[in-house]
Amino acid sequence: MAGSAGWGWPSHEIFWLIRVPRVLAAFGTGAALALAGALIQLVSRNPLADPHVLGVTSGASLGAVLMLAFAAGLPLAPEIGAVCGALGSMTLVFGLAWGGMNRGLSPSAAPGTVLVLLVGVMVGTVCGAGVSFTLSVANDSQLRNIVFWLLGDLNGASLWWPIWAAAGIALLLVWPRARELDWIARGDAWAWTLGVPVARRRRTAIFAACLVTGAAVATAGSIGFVGLVAPHIVRLTGLRHARLLIPFSAVFGGVFLVLADTAARTLIAPVQLPVGVISAAVGAPLFLALLLRRHA
Amino acid sequence: MSARISLQLENLQLRAGGLPEGRMLIESLNVSIQSGERWVLLGPNGAGKSTLLMVLAGLVQPNAGEARLNGHRLADWAPADLARQRAWCPQFWFDPFPVSAWETVASAQLALSPQADAAQVETTARRWLSEFGVGHLADNDVRLLSGGERQRVALATACAQDAPLLLLDEPSAHLDWSHQALLQARLKRWSSSGGTVLAAVHDLNLAWTLASHALLLDGRGGALAGTREEVLGAGTLSHAYGVPVSQREEDGRRWFRIDLEHSA
Repeated sequence: MAGSAGWGWPSHEIFWLIRVPRVLAAFGTGAALALAGALIQLVSRNPLADPHVLGVTSGASLGAVLMLAFAAGLPLAPEIGAVCGALGSMTLVFGLAWGGMNRGLSPSAAPGTVLVLLVGVMVGTVCGAGVSFTLSVANDSQLRNIVFWLLGDLNGASLWWPIWAAAGIALLLVWPRARELDWIARGDAWAWTLGVPVARRRRTAIFAACLVTGAAVATAGSIGFVGLVAPHIVRLTGLRHARLLIPFSAVFGGVFLVLADTAARTLIAPVQLPVGVISAAVGAPLFLALLLRRHA
Repeated sequence: MSARISLQLENLQLRAGGLPEGRMLIESLNVSIQSGERWVLLGPNGAGKSTLLMVLAGLVQPNAGEARLNGHRLADWAPADLARQRAWCPQFWFDPFPVSAWETVASAQLALSPQADAAQVETTARRWLSEFGVGHLADNDVRLLSGGERQRVALATACAQDAPLLLLDEPSAHLDWSHQALLQARLKRWSSSGGTVLAAVHDLNLAWTLASHALLLDGRGGALAGTREEVLGAGTLSHAYGVPVSQREEDGRRWFRIDLEHSA
Protein backbone atom coordinates (compact mmCIF):
# COMPACT_ATOMS: atom_id res chain seq x y z
CA MET A 1 0.00 0.00 0.00
CA ALA A 2 1.23 3.43 -0.83
CA GLY A 3 1.93 6.05 1.82
CA SER A 4 0.91 9.64 1.37
CA ALA A 5 4.50 10.89 1.40
CA GLY A 6 5.59 8.81 -1.55
CA TRP A 7 5.64 5.19 -2.65
CA GLY A 8 6.94 2.63 -0.25
CA TRP A 9 5.99 0.39 2.63
CA PRO A 10 4.52 2.22 5.63
CA SER A 11 5.73 1.39 9.10
CA HIS A 12 4.01 -1.28 11.12
CA GLU A 13 2.10 1.22 13.29
CA ILE A 14 0.92 3.36 10.40
CA PHE A 15 -0.24 0.26 8.56
CA TRP A 16 -2.31 -1.19 11.41
CA LEU A 17 -3.48 2.01 13.09
CA ILE A 18 -4.17 4.20 10.07
CA ARG A 19 -4.17 2.37 6.75
CA VAL A 20 -6.17 -0.72 7.68
CA PRO A 21 -8.93 1.15 9.55
CA ARG A 22 -9.14 3.63 6.69
CA VAL A 23 -9.45 0.90 4.06
CA LEU A 24 -12.09 -0.82 6.18
CA ALA A 25 -13.98 2.47 6.58
CA ALA A 26 -13.77 3.14 2.84
CA PHE A 27 -15.01 -0.33 1.98
CA GLY A 28 -17.87 -0.13 4.48
CA THR A 29 -18.93 3.31 3.26
CA GLY A 30 -18.93 2.35 -0.41
CA ALA A 31 -20.78 -0.88 0.35
CA ALA A 32 -23.37 0.94 2.45
CA LEU A 33 -24.10 3.57 -0.20
CA ALA A 34 -24.35 0.97 -2.97
CA LEU A 35 -26.65 -1.15 -0.82
CA ALA A 36 -28.88 1.84 -0.13
CA GLY A 37 -28.93 2.74 -3.82
CA ALA A 38 -29.94 -0.76 -4.89
CA LEU A 39 -32.76 -0.85 -2.33
CA ILE A 40 -34.14 2.58 -3.16
CA GLN A 41 -34.07 1.89 -6.91
CA LEU A 42 -35.97 -1.37 -6.43
CA VAL A 43 -38.73 -0.12 -4.14
CA SER A 44 -39.20 3.17 -5.99
CA ARG A 45 -39.10 1.32 -9.33
CA ASN A 46 -36.84 4.11 -10.48
CA PRO A 47 -33.40 3.46 -11.97
CA LEU A 48 -32.41 7.10 -11.31
CA ALA A 49 -33.02 7.04 -7.57
CA ASP A 50 -30.04 7.26 -5.25
CA PRO A 51 -29.68 7.21 -1.46
CA HIS A 52 -29.60 10.99 -1.22
CA VAL A 53 -33.27 11.32 -2.22
CA LEU A 54 -34.15 9.97 1.22
CA GLY A 55 -33.22 13.27 2.86
CA VAL A 56 -30.98 11.43 5.31
CA THR A 57 -27.78 12.63 3.65
CA SER A 58 -28.76 16.27 4.05
CA GLY A 59 -30.00 15.66 7.58
CA ALA A 60 -26.74 14.02 8.59
CA SER A 61 -24.76 16.74 6.79
CA LEU A 62 -26.63 19.46 8.66
CA GLY A 63 -25.88 17.77 11.98
CA ALA A 64 -22.20 17.39 11.14
CA VAL A 65 -21.85 20.93 9.77
CA LEU A 66 -23.51 22.45 12.85
CA MET A 67 -21.07 20.57 15.08
CA LEU A 68 -18.08 21.61 12.97
CA ALA A 69 -19.19 25.24 13.09
CA PHE A 70 -20.25 25.53 16.72
CA ALA A 71 -18.71 22.64 18.66
CA ALA A 72 -15.65 21.62 16.69
CA GLY A 73 -13.62 21.11 19.87
CA LEU A 74 -15.57 18.10 21.03
CA PRO A 75 -14.18 14.63 20.26
CA LEU A 76 -15.89 13.04 17.24
CA ALA A 77 -17.87 16.27 16.74
CA PRO A 78 -18.94 15.78 13.10
CA GLU A 79 -19.63 12.07 13.58
CA ILE A 80 -21.92 12.67 16.55
CA GLY A 81 -23.64 15.50 14.69
CA ALA A 82 -24.12 13.32 11.61
CA VAL A 83 -25.63 10.45 13.58
CA CYS A 84 -28.06 12.82 15.33
CA GLY A 85 -28.91 14.52 12.04
CA ALA A 86 -29.44 11.20 10.28
CA LEU A 87 -31.68 9.87 13.04
CA GLY A 88 -33.61 13.15 13.19
CA SER A 89 -34.24 13.35 9.45
CA MET A 90 -35.10 9.63 9.28
CA THR A 91 -37.68 10.08 12.04
CA LEU A 92 -39.09 13.12 10.26
CA VAL A 93 -39.34 11.39 6.87
CA PHE A 94 -40.90 8.23 8.33
CA GLY A 95 -43.28 10.26 10.51
CA LEU A 96 -44.52 12.42 7.66
CA ALA A 97 -44.79 9.62 5.10
CA TRP A 98 -45.97 6.82 7.41
CA GLY A 99 -49.59 6.82 6.27
CA GLY A 100 -48.69 6.74 2.60
CA MET A 101 -46.04 4.10 3.06
CA ASN A 102 -48.56 1.62 4.41
CA ARG A 103 -51.32 2.34 1.93
CA GLY A 104 -51.26 3.02 -1.73
CA LEU A 105 -51.24 -0.03 -3.97
CA SER A 106 -51.88 0.88 -7.54
CA PRO A 107 -51.44 -1.13 -10.70
CA SER A 108 -49.15 1.25 -12.51
CA ALA A 109 -47.27 3.28 -9.92
CA ALA A 110 -46.05 3.12 -6.36
CA PRO A 111 -47.75 6.11 -4.72
CA GLY A 112 -46.57 5.12 -1.25
CA THR A 113 -42.95 5.12 -2.32
CA VAL A 114 -43.36 8.29 -4.35
CA LEU A 115 -44.67 10.00 -1.22
CA VAL A 116 -41.66 8.82 0.82
CA LEU A 117 -39.24 10.08 -1.80
CA LEU A 118 -41.00 13.44 -2.16
CA VAL A 119 -41.03 13.87 1.62
CA GLY A 120 -37.35 12.83 1.65
CA VAL A 121 -36.42 15.35 -1.00
CA MET A 122 -38.29 18.11 0.87
CA VAL A 123 -36.71 17.27 4.23
CA GLY A 124 -33.37 17.16 2.41
CA THR A 125 -34.03 20.57 0.87
CA VAL A 126 -34.75 22.16 4.24
CA CYS A 127 -31.64 20.56 5.75
CA GLY A 128 -29.65 21.73 2.72
CA ALA A 129 -30.84 25.27 3.42
CA GLY A 130 -29.61 24.82 7.00
CA VAL A 131 -26.20 23.71 5.70
CA SER A 132 -25.99 26.75 3.40
CA PHE A 133 -26.96 29.03 6.27
CA THR A 134 -24.28 27.53 8.51
CA LEU A 135 -21.70 27.87 5.74
CA SER A 136 -22.50 31.55 5.31
CA VAL A 137 -22.05 32.35 9.01
CA ALA A 138 -18.99 30.13 9.60
CA ASN A 139 -15.52 31.70 9.80
CA ASP A 140 -12.69 30.89 7.41
CA SER A 141 -10.94 28.22 9.46
CA GLN A 142 -14.21 26.36 10.06
CA LEU A 143 -15.13 26.72 6.42
CA ARG A 144 -12.29 24.56 5.11
CA ASN A 145 -13.14 21.70 7.46
CA ILE A 146 -16.81 21.95 6.61
CA VAL A 147 -16.28 22.04 2.85
CA PHE A 148 -13.91 19.06 2.98
CA TRP A 149 -16.40 17.16 5.05
CA LEU A 150 -19.22 18.01 2.66
CA LEU A 151 -17.18 16.83 -0.33
CA GLY A 152 -16.86 13.40 1.20
CA ASP A 153 -13.62 12.68 2.96
CA LEU A 154 -12.19 9.56 4.56
CA ASN A 155 -9.24 11.43 6.01
CA GLY A 156 -9.34 10.66 9.73
CA ALA A 157 -12.11 8.12 9.40
CA SER A 158 -10.63 5.91 12.09
CA LEU A 159 -13.90 4.49 13.32
CA TRP A 160 -14.58 1.79 10.79
CA TRP A 161 -16.81 -0.69 12.57
CA PRO A 162 -20.10 1.28 12.90
CA ILE A 163 -20.58 1.40 9.13
CA TRP A 164 -19.90 -2.35 8.90
CA ALA A 165 -22.41 -2.96 11.66
CA ALA A 166 -25.03 -0.81 9.91
CA ALA A 167 -24.46 -2.52 6.55
CA GLY A 168 -24.61 -5.94 8.23
CA ILE A 169 -27.92 -5.14 9.92
CA ALA A 170 -29.36 -3.80 6.66
CA LEU A 171 -28.31 -6.91 4.75
CA LEU A 172 -29.83 -9.18 7.40
CA LEU A 173 -33.07 -7.19 7.20
CA VAL A 174 -33.52 -7.28 3.44
CA TRP A 175 -31.52 -10.13 1.95
CA PRO A 176 -33.60 -13.14 3.05
CA ARG A 177 -36.64 -11.62 1.27
CA ALA A 178 -34.74 -9.93 -1.55
CA ARG A 179 -36.55 -11.88 -4.26
CA GLU A 180 -39.80 -10.16 -3.30
CA LEU A 181 -38.18 -6.79 -4.04
CA ASP A 182 -37.80 -7.89 -7.68
CA TRP A 183 -41.55 -8.44 -7.86
CA ILE A 184 -42.31 -5.14 -6.13
CA ALA A 185 -40.09 -3.48 -8.74
CA ARG A 186 -42.33 -4.95 -11.45
CA GLY A 187 -45.47 -3.54 -9.84
CA ASP A 188 -46.41 -3.28 -6.20
CA ALA A 189 -50.10 -4.08 -6.68
CA TRP A 190 -49.16 -7.08 -8.78
CA ALA A 191 -46.64 -8.21 -6.14
CA TRP A 192 -49.39 -7.96 -3.53
CA THR A 193 -51.62 -10.25 -5.59
CA LEU A 194 -48.79 -12.82 -5.48
CA GLY A 195 -49.03 -12.75 -1.69
CA VAL A 196 -46.09 -10.44 -1.00
CA PRO A 197 -46.65 -8.19 2.06
CA VAL A 198 -45.68 -5.16 -0.02
CA ALA A 199 -46.10 -2.43 2.60
CA ARG A 200 -43.93 -4.26 5.13
CA ARG A 201 -41.15 -5.07 2.63
CA ARG A 202 -41.15 -1.49 1.38
CA ARG A 203 -40.92 -0.11 4.92
CA THR A 204 -38.08 -2.45 5.80
CA ALA A 205 -36.14 -1.64 2.63
CA ILE A 206 -36.50 2.12 3.11
CA PHE A 207 -35.53 1.82 6.77
CA ALA A 208 -32.45 -0.23 5.89
CA ALA A 209 -31.47 2.27 3.19
CA CYS A 210 -31.86 5.20 5.62
CA LEU A 211 -29.82 3.38 8.25
CA VAL A 212 -26.82 2.68 6.01
CA THR A 213 -26.96 6.08 4.32
CA GLY A 214 -26.91 7.84 7.68
CA ALA A 215 -24.02 5.67 8.85
CA ALA A 216 -22.11 6.28 5.61
CA VAL A 217 -22.48 10.05 5.91
CA ALA A 218 -21.38 9.90 9.54
CA THR A 219 -18.27 7.93 8.53
CA ALA A 220 -17.13 9.80 5.46
CA GLY A 221 -19.35 12.76 4.73
CA SER A 222 -21.52 13.10 1.71
CA ILE A 223 -20.15 10.92 -1.10
CA GLY A 224 -22.18 10.95 -4.26
CA PHE A 225 -22.28 8.68 -7.27
CA VAL A 226 -21.55 5.27 -5.68
CA GLY A 227 -25.13 4.71 -4.56
CA LEU A 228 -26.60 5.61 -7.93
CA VAL A 229 -24.18 3.77 -10.16
CA ALA A 230 -22.98 0.66 -8.33
CA PRO A 231 -26.29 -1.20 -8.87
CA HIS A 232 -26.28 -0.30 -12.57
CA ILE A 233 -22.75 -1.54 -13.11
CA VAL A 234 -23.62 -4.79 -11.35
CA ARG A 235 -26.71 -5.11 -13.58
CA LEU A 236 -24.58 -4.53 -16.67
CA THR A 237 -22.53 -7.58 -15.69
CA GLY A 238 -25.71 -9.67 -15.83
CA LEU A 239 -26.43 -9.95 -12.10
CA ARG A 240 -30.03 -8.75 -12.23
CA HIS A 241 -31.82 -10.50 -9.40
CA ALA A 242 -32.11 -8.61 -6.13
CA ARG A 243 -30.65 -11.58 -4.25
CA LEU A 244 -27.41 -11.17 -6.21
CA LEU A 245 -27.74 -7.49 -7.06
CA ILE A 246 -27.85 -6.33 -3.45
CA PRO A 247 -24.72 -8.12 -2.11
CA PHE A 248 -22.70 -7.63 -5.30
CA SER A 249 -23.58 -3.93 -5.43
CA ALA A 250 -22.26 -3.69 -1.88
CA VAL A 251 -19.02 -5.48 -2.78
CA PHE A 252 -18.55 -3.37 -5.90
CA GLY A 253 -19.29 -0.12 -4.04
CA GLY A 254 -16.82 -1.11 -1.30
CA VAL A 255 -14.00 -2.01 -3.68
CA PHE A 256 -14.66 1.08 -5.77
CA LEU A 257 -14.45 3.43 -2.81
CA VAL A 258 -11.25 1.77 -1.50
CA LEU A 259 -9.61 2.32 -4.90
CA ALA A 260 -10.96 5.87 -5.12
CA ASP A 261 -9.68 6.64 -1.64
CA THR A 262 -6.24 5.21 -2.41
CA ALA A 263 -6.11 7.45 -5.46
CA ALA A 264 -7.31 10.41 -3.40
CA ARG A 265 -4.48 9.86 -0.90
CA THR A 266 -1.68 9.36 -3.40
CA LEU A 267 -2.45 11.19 -6.65
CA ILE A 268 -1.01 14.54 -5.63
CA ALA A 269 0.57 13.50 -2.31
CA PRO A 270 1.18 14.91 0.20
CA VAL A 271 -2.06 16.76 -0.53
CA GLN A 272 -5.02 14.48 0.21
CA LEU A 273 -8.01 14.97 -2.04
CA PRO A 274 -11.54 14.35 -0.75
CA VAL A 275 -12.57 10.87 -1.94
CA GLY A 276 -15.85 12.29 -3.27
CA VAL A 277 -13.88 14.18 -5.92
CA ILE A 278 -12.26 11.00 -7.21
CA SER A 279 -15.35 8.83 -7.01
CA ALA A 280 -17.31 11.29 -9.15
CA ALA A 281 -14.50 12.21 -11.56
CA VAL A 282 -13.50 8.59 -12.27
CA GLY A 283 -16.79 6.86 -11.66
CA ALA A 284 -18.98 8.80 -14.06
CA PRO A 285 -16.76 8.28 -17.14
CA LEU A 286 -16.31 4.61 -16.17
CA PHE A 287 -20.06 4.17 -16.06
CA LEU A 288 -20.53 5.99 -19.35
CA ALA A 289 -17.92 3.78 -21.00
CA LEU A 290 -19.70 0.62 -19.83
CA LEU A 291 -23.08 1.99 -20.85
CA LEU A 292 -22.04 3.14 -24.32
CA ARG A 293 -20.08 -0.03 -25.06
CA ARG A 294 -23.20 -1.96 -24.15
CA HIS A 295 -25.39 0.09 -26.46
CA ALA A 296 -22.85 0.47 -29.27
CA MET B 1 -56.74 -25.66 -12.11
CA SER B 2 -58.70 -28.54 -10.71
CA ALA B 3 -59.90 -26.50 -7.72
CA ARG B 4 -63.40 -25.15 -8.14
CA ILE B 5 -64.27 -21.64 -7.08
CA SER B 6 -67.37 -19.57 -6.62
CA LEU B 7 -67.44 -15.82 -6.50
CA GLN B 8 -70.47 -14.03 -5.07
CA LEU B 9 -71.07 -10.30 -5.31
CA GLU B 10 -73.77 -9.05 -2.93
CA ASN B 11 -75.13 -5.50 -3.26
CA LEU B 12 -71.67 -4.46 -4.34
CA GLN B 13 -71.30 -0.70 -4.71
CA LEU B 14 -68.36 0.93 -6.39
CA ARG B 15 -67.28 4.55 -6.75
CA ALA B 16 -64.41 5.96 -8.81
CA GLY B 17 -61.06 5.18 -7.23
CA GLY B 18 -62.88 3.39 -4.40
CA LEU B 19 -63.26 6.81 -2.74
CA PRO B 20 -66.44 7.70 -0.83
CA GLU B 21 -66.74 11.01 -2.72
CA GLY B 22 -65.95 9.36 -6.09
CA ARG B 23 -68.36 9.26 -9.02
CA MET B 24 -70.88 6.40 -8.76
CA LEU B 25 -69.76 3.55 -11.01
CA ILE B 26 -71.88 0.66 -9.82
CA GLU B 27 -74.94 1.25 -7.64
CA SER B 28 -75.67 -2.29 -6.53
CA LEU B 29 -74.40 -5.42 -8.23
CA ASN B 30 -75.53 -8.95 -7.43
CA VAL B 31 -73.93 -11.72 -9.38
CA SER B 32 -72.70 -15.25 -8.86
CA ILE B 33 -69.74 -16.54 -10.84
CA GLN B 34 -68.97 -20.25 -10.98
CA SER B 35 -66.22 -22.55 -12.19
CA GLY B 36 -66.13 -23.14 -15.91
CA GLU B 37 -67.67 -19.78 -16.78
CA ARG B 38 -66.08 -17.17 -19.01
CA TRP B 39 -67.25 -13.66 -18.15
CA VAL B 40 -66.57 -10.61 -20.25
CA LEU B 41 -66.65 -7.23 -18.55
CA LEU B 42 -67.91 -4.50 -20.87
CA GLY B 43 -68.66 -0.81 -20.64
CA PRO B 44 -67.49 2.61 -21.80
CA ASN B 45 -64.12 4.10 -20.80
CA GLY B 46 -64.07 4.96 -17.11
CA ALA B 47 -67.14 2.82 -16.35
CA GLY B 48 -65.27 0.96 -13.61
CA LYS B 49 -64.12 -2.24 -15.33
CA SER B 50 -60.54 -2.04 -14.00
CA THR B 51 -61.72 -0.94 -10.56
CA LEU B 52 -64.13 -3.87 -10.38
CA LEU B 53 -61.35 -6.28 -11.35
CA MET B 54 -59.16 -4.78 -8.63
CA VAL B 55 -62.00 -5.25 -6.13
CA LEU B 56 -62.27 -8.90 -7.17
CA ALA B 57 -58.49 -9.24 -6.87
CA GLY B 58 -58.73 -7.95 -3.29
CA LEU B 59 -56.72 -4.82 -4.05
CA VAL B 60 -59.56 -2.32 -3.56
CA GLN B 61 -62.39 -2.41 -1.02
CA PRO B 62 -65.91 -1.94 -2.40
CA ASN B 63 -67.76 1.14 -1.15
CA ALA B 64 -70.64 -1.02 0.05
CA GLY B 65 -71.73 -4.62 -0.19
CA GLU B 66 -69.50 -7.65 -0.29
CA ALA B 67 -67.50 -9.89 -2.53
CA ARG B 68 -67.19 -13.48 -1.34
CA LEU B 69 -64.82 -16.07 -2.71
CA ASN B 70 -65.75 -19.65 -1.82
CA GLY B 71 -68.03 -18.27 0.88
CA HIS B 72 -65.42 -16.13 2.64
CA ARG B 73 -65.29 -12.34 2.39
CA LEU B 74 -62.39 -11.31 0.15
CA ALA B 75 -61.08 -8.96 2.85
CA ASP B 76 -60.73 -11.94 5.22
CA TRP B 77 -58.44 -13.91 2.91
CA ALA B 78 -54.71 -13.91 3.64
CA PRO B 79 -52.92 -12.50 0.57
CA ALA B 80 -50.85 -15.67 0.18
CA ASP B 81 -53.98 -17.89 0.17
CA LEU B 82 -55.76 -15.56 -2.23
CA ALA B 83 -52.78 -15.84 -4.60
CA ARG B 84 -53.57 -19.56 -5.01
CA GLN B 85 -57.18 -18.79 -5.97
CA ARG B 86 -56.95 -15.89 -8.41
CA ALA B 87 -54.40 -14.35 -10.76
CA TRP B 88 -54.73 -10.67 -11.68
CA CYS B 89 -53.29 -9.39 -14.93
CA PRO B 90 -53.26 -5.57 -14.96
CA GLN B 91 -53.84 -3.41 -18.00
CA PHE B 92 -50.50 -1.61 -17.84
CA TRP B 93 -47.02 -2.92 -17.22
CA PHE B 94 -43.96 -0.89 -16.47
CA ASP B 95 -40.63 -2.73 -16.35
CA PRO B 96 -38.00 -0.46 -14.84
CA PHE B 97 -35.16 -3.00 -14.86
CA PRO B 98 -33.97 -5.62 -17.34
CA VAL B 99 -35.42 -9.09 -16.84
CA SER B 100 -36.03 -11.95 -19.24
CA ALA B 101 -39.53 -13.00 -20.30
CA TRP B 102 -39.32 -16.46 -18.72
CA GLU B 103 -38.13 -15.04 -15.41
CA THR B 104 -41.12 -12.69 -15.38
CA VAL B 105 -43.43 -15.65 -15.93
CA ALA B 106 -41.61 -17.64 -13.24
CA SER B 107 -42.16 -14.95 -10.57
CA ALA B 108 -45.72 -16.05 -9.90
CA GLN B 109 -44.72 -19.70 -9.42
CA LEU B 110 -41.78 -18.80 -7.20
CA ALA B 111 -43.94 -16.52 -5.06
CA LEU B 112 -46.44 -19.29 -4.42
CA SER B 113 -43.95 -22.09 -3.86
CA PRO B 114 -40.55 -20.68 -2.88
CA GLN B 115 -39.13 -24.19 -2.51
CA ALA B 116 -40.11 -25.25 -6.03
CA ASP B 117 -37.48 -26.95 -8.14
CA ALA B 118 -35.80 -24.24 -10.25
CA ALA B 119 -35.55 -26.35 -13.39
CA GLN B 120 -39.21 -27.32 -13.11
CA VAL B 121 -40.26 -23.68 -12.69
CA GLU B 122 -38.26 -22.65 -15.75
CA THR B 123 -39.76 -25.45 -17.85
CA THR B 124 -43.28 -24.46 -16.83
CA ALA B 125 -42.57 -20.79 -17.56
CA ARG B 126 -41.21 -21.58 -21.01
CA ARG B 127 -44.17 -23.85 -21.73
CA TRP B 128 -46.66 -21.08 -20.92
CA LEU B 129 -44.76 -18.65 -23.13
CA SER B 130 -45.02 -21.18 -25.97
CA GLU B 131 -48.74 -21.57 -25.30
CA PHE B 132 -49.13 -17.88 -26.07
CA GLY B 133 -46.81 -17.95 -29.08
CA VAL B 134 -43.87 -16.17 -27.45
CA GLY B 135 -41.73 -19.20 -26.60
CA HIS B 136 -39.02 -17.95 -28.93
CA LEU B 137 -38.76 -14.74 -26.88
CA ALA B 138 -38.29 -16.51 -23.54
CA ASP B 139 -34.74 -15.23 -23.07
CA ASN B 140 -35.41 -11.69 -24.33
CA ASP B 141 -35.52 -8.65 -22.08
CA VAL B 142 -39.19 -7.80 -21.50
CA ARG B 143 -38.42 -4.10 -21.97
CA LEU B 144 -37.54 -4.72 -25.61
CA LEU B 145 -40.72 -6.61 -26.55
CA SER B 146 -43.51 -5.12 -28.67
CA GLY B 147 -46.81 -4.22 -27.02
CA GLY B 148 -48.52 -7.41 -28.17
CA GLU B 149 -45.56 -9.58 -27.18
CA ARG B 150 -45.42 -8.01 -23.71
CA GLN B 151 -49.16 -8.57 -23.38
CA ARG B 152 -48.75 -12.28 -24.15
CA VAL B 153 -45.90 -12.56 -21.62
CA ALA B 154 -48.31 -11.05 -19.08
CA LEU B 155 -51.01 -13.59 -19.99
CA ALA B 156 -48.50 -16.43 -19.67
CA THR B 157 -47.52 -15.04 -16.24
CA ALA B 158 -51.15 -15.02 -15.09
CA CYS B 159 -51.73 -18.59 -16.29
CA ALA B 160 -48.49 -19.83 -14.75
CA GLN B 161 -49.69 -18.68 -11.36
CA ASP B 162 -52.00 -21.71 -11.65
CA ALA B 163 -54.90 -20.12 -9.76
CA PRO B 164 -58.37 -21.21 -10.96
CA LEU B 165 -59.76 -17.66 -11.32
CA LEU B 166 -58.21 -15.43 -13.99
CA LEU B 167 -58.90 -11.69 -13.69
CA LEU B 168 -57.69 -10.16 -16.94
CA ASP B 169 -57.75 -6.43 -17.61
CA GLU B 170 -58.03 -5.96 -21.38
CA PRO B 171 -56.21 -9.18 -22.32
CA SER B 172 -56.81 -8.57 -26.03
CA ALA B 173 -55.20 -5.10 -26.00
CA HIS B 174 -52.31 -4.83 -28.50
CA LEU B 175 -53.04 -8.32 -29.88
CA ASP B 176 -53.34 -8.85 -33.63
CA TRP B 177 -56.17 -10.99 -35.02
CA SER B 178 -54.31 -14.27 -34.97
CA HIS B 179 -53.28 -13.74 -31.36
CA GLN B 180 -56.79 -12.69 -30.38
CA ALA B 181 -57.87 -16.07 -31.74
CA LEU B 182 -55.08 -17.75 -29.76
CA LEU B 183 -56.20 -15.90 -26.62
CA GLN B 184 -59.77 -17.15 -27.13
CA ALA B 185 -58.59 -20.71 -27.60
CA ARG B 186 -56.47 -20.60 -24.42
CA LEU B 187 -59.23 -19.07 -22.31
CA LYS B 188 -61.78 -21.61 -23.58
CA ARG B 189 -59.42 -24.43 -22.71
CA TRP B 190 -58.89 -22.85 -19.29
CA SER B 191 -62.63 -22.82 -18.54
CA SER B 192 -63.29 -26.26 -20.00
CA SER B 193 -60.80 -27.72 -17.51
CA GLY B 194 -62.71 -26.11 -14.64
CA GLY B 195 -61.08 -22.67 -14.53
CA THR B 196 -62.94 -19.37 -14.43
CA VAL B 197 -62.21 -16.29 -16.53
CA LEU B 198 -63.26 -12.68 -16.01
CA ALA B 199 -61.91 -10.38 -18.72
CA ALA B 200 -62.47 -6.71 -19.51
CA VAL B 201 -62.90 -6.38 -23.26
CA HIS B 202 -63.71 -3.55 -25.68
CA ASP B 203 -64.35 -5.49 -28.89
CA LEU B 204 -68.03 -6.51 -28.78
CA ASN B 205 -67.63 -9.22 -31.43
CA LEU B 206 -64.66 -10.71 -29.64
CA ALA B 207 -66.69 -10.51 -26.43
CA TRP B 208 -69.51 -12.53 -27.96
CA THR B 209 -67.33 -15.40 -29.15
CA LEU B 210 -65.19 -15.40 -26.02
CA ALA B 211 -67.89 -15.27 -23.38
CA SER B 212 -70.38 -17.58 -21.78
CA HIS B 213 -71.54 -14.72 -19.56
CA ALA B 214 -71.32 -10.94 -19.65
CA LEU B 215 -71.35 -8.06 -17.21
CA LEU B 216 -72.19 -4.72 -18.81
CA LEU B 217 -71.53 -1.46 -16.96
CA ASP B 218 -72.98 1.83 -18.17
CA GLY B 219 -70.68 4.07 -16.09
CA ARG B 220 -73.67 5.79 -14.46
CA GLY B 221 -74.31 3.25 -11.73
CA GLY B 222 -76.12 0.69 -13.84
CA ALA B 223 -74.88 -2.88 -14.28
CA LEU B 224 -76.39 -5.78 -16.17
CA ALA B 225 -75.21 -9.35 -15.58
CA GLY B 226 -76.22 -12.64 -17.10
CA THR B 227 -75.56 -15.02 -19.95
CA ARG B 228 -74.16 -13.47 -23.09
CA GLU B 229 -77.53 -13.89 -24.85
CA GLU B 230 -79.27 -11.96 -22.07
CA VAL B 231 -76.77 -9.13 -21.79
CA LEU B 232 -75.29 -8.58 -25.25
CA GLY B 233 -77.96 -7.06 -27.47
CA ALA B 234 -78.42 -3.98 -29.60
CA GLY B 235 -80.65 -2.32 -27.00
CA THR B 236 -78.50 -2.90 -23.93
CA LEU B 237 -75.28 -2.00 -25.74
CA SER B 238 -76.75 1.17 -27.27
CA HIS B 239 -77.86 2.25 -23.80
CA ALA B 240 -74.52 1.48 -22.12
CA TYR B 241 -72.26 3.06 -24.74
CA GLY B 242 -74.54 5.93 -25.74
CA VAL B 243 -74.18 5.20 -29.47
CA PRO B 244 -76.65 3.34 -31.70
CA VAL B 245 -75.46 -0.29 -31.92
CA SER B 246 -77.13 -2.63 -34.36
CA GLN B 247 -77.07 -6.40 -34.29
CA ARG B 248 -77.21 -9.15 -36.91
CA GLU B 249 -77.75 -12.87 -36.24
CA GLU B 250 -75.98 -15.56 -38.20
CA ASP B 251 -76.19 -19.26 -37.23
CA GLY B 252 -76.85 -18.32 -33.60
CA ARG B 253 -73.92 -15.95 -33.55
CA ARG B 254 -74.47 -12.22 -33.03
CA TRP B 255 -72.54 -9.52 -34.86
CA PHE B 256 -72.52 -5.98 -33.57
CA ARG B 257 -71.66 -2.73 -35.25
CA ILE B 258 -72.12 0.97 -34.61
CA ASP B 259 -74.71 2.61 -36.84
CA LEU B 260 -72.57 5.53 -37.89
CA GLU B 261 -75.30 7.00 -40.15
CA HIS B 262 -77.60 7.37 -37.15
CA SER B 263 -75.06 8.55 -34.61
CA ALA B 264 -74.41 12.23 -34.02
